[in-house]
Amino acid sequence: MESYWFGDREGQACRPAPNDSGLLAERIELLAGTGNVSIPNWRIAVRCGFVSDRSEYLRVLQEAAINLVIKNLERGYQADHSGLIQMVRMLEQVDCTINLLTERAVDWYRATRPGFSRKLLLPSGRKLITWLHRDADEALSEVLDEIERLIEQRTTLMKKVSQRAEEVLPNCSALAGGLVAARLAAEAGGIRELAMMPASSIQVLGAKQALFSHLSTGSPPPKHGVVYQHGRVHGARRENRGKVARTLSSKLAIAARIDYYRKELDREFIEKAAERIREAGRRA
Amino acid sequence: MIWIEGHLVSRGPGGVYGERMVQGLRVWDPKRSKLAALYHLGKGPELEQKDRVLYLGAANGTTVSHIADYTEVVYAVEHAPRPMQDLLVVAGQRKNIIPILADAGRPELYVPIVEMVDLIYQDVASPQQVDILIRNISFLEPDGNLVLILKPKSIDVTRSPQDVAQEALADLEEKGVLIQDQVWLLPNYPDHVVFLCKRS
Repeated sequence: MESYWFGDREGQACRPAPNDSGLLAERIELLAGTGNVSIPNWRIAVRCGFVSDRSEYLRVLQEAAINLVIKNLERGYQADHSGLIQMVRMLEQVDCTINLLTERAVDWYRATRPGFSRKLLLPSGRKLITWLHRDADEALSEVLDEIERLIEQRTTLMKKVSQRAEEVLPNCSALAGGLVAARLAAEAGGIRELAMMPASSIQVLGAKQALFSHLSTGSPPPKHGVVYQHGRVHGARRENRGKVARTLSSKLAIAARIDYYRKELDREFIEKAAERIREAGRRA
Repeated sequence: MIWIEGHLVSRGPGGVYGERMVQGLRVWDPKRSKLAALYHLGKGPELEQKDRVLYLGAANGTTVSHIADYTEVVYAVEHAPRPMQDLLVVAGQRKNIIPILADAGRPELYVPIVEMVDLIYQDVASPQQVDILIRNISFLEPDGNLVLILKPKSIDVTRSPQDVAQEALADLEEKGVLIQDQVWLLPNYPDHVVFLCKRS
């Protein structure tokens, strides 16, 4: 029997495939998997009664091909959770933008208040914006409103990232928190890439500059990158931080693999790992 | 091929990538398309209305759209998701572009839908450029044309492009490809050489 995307032929008999682009796309994929297909010929499709002429052949084929491409694109994006990675990158960009705009707003404010000095100003972040708001002129006030909205947006986005990470990376999130887990995945370039990484690389993810200055000039190696944001790392005593970061990363490397391959939370592993990380913080 | 006032043009719906129009025809810019650059050097196969084309490394569909203007059908193979999204839009505007999301080095994945073609055009940045062409050669009609845009720097940056090209040429001939002409795409594409070939 010869199989084509448009039907099966056996001697003189020919059975056309159902003419539906979704079903045809599935059929094409199936045939590609068998490795046992012939190069198609549109005349056979006409003889088969699948289409009436060349232009119909191309029209039906194009529809099925586009259907197949879209299906494959969707599948690819879902498999590597591109949505989560994009969300993390957006969050980072929003952070960066808020800081830039705030700096700029302070500069502007300074120009309208000769007596103003940054030295007197204690609040930072959102409080700083509120502080400026008290007696900023109208144009600046409007900009400050925008920045405040952006800060609110940032909070919402952060919660969503954390939520998604807990679904997609349950074990990493349980160890390091959703936000850190998501940042690690974004920094690694994807969920799969993170799962393939050795613990020592995970430890310095996000410390690219320090790592390369270490490699090229021999300055001290970075102890931590994104993992620093974990409470146990930045909360540890300075001389202990390297050890905590190292222990955390080695457990994260295992967690990332469970997340990628098993895709479910392993409570027993989490408990043991968390204990080891606590332990690392205790020993001096 | 249609030329107007020194511009290579093609007949089709414009606005694919912001191309200029001359007398209602789409200008095929040699700075944007290696195939256009080749035609501007006076080389390259004449595209005909009846031609079926297999395009490996279709990218965003810039060159694909112009080839589709001249020919009957283009099977456009592209591996990367993002350019494929652009290519889908181009395919949606034309009846004769069949988009395929696959690695050109694995033709077994698209053998169910690609028919025998009169022209294989390959423009992929891969160290296995020669191998990819050989793997796809069974789609080519016996008297069909092969246009291989060879990027020596994608094969080995450390060696001189001329040496890499010579080696690729010898490799192709050994594997059953008859090379009729080779053209360096100067001045628009330094270190790109085109092999115009047939099946031997």
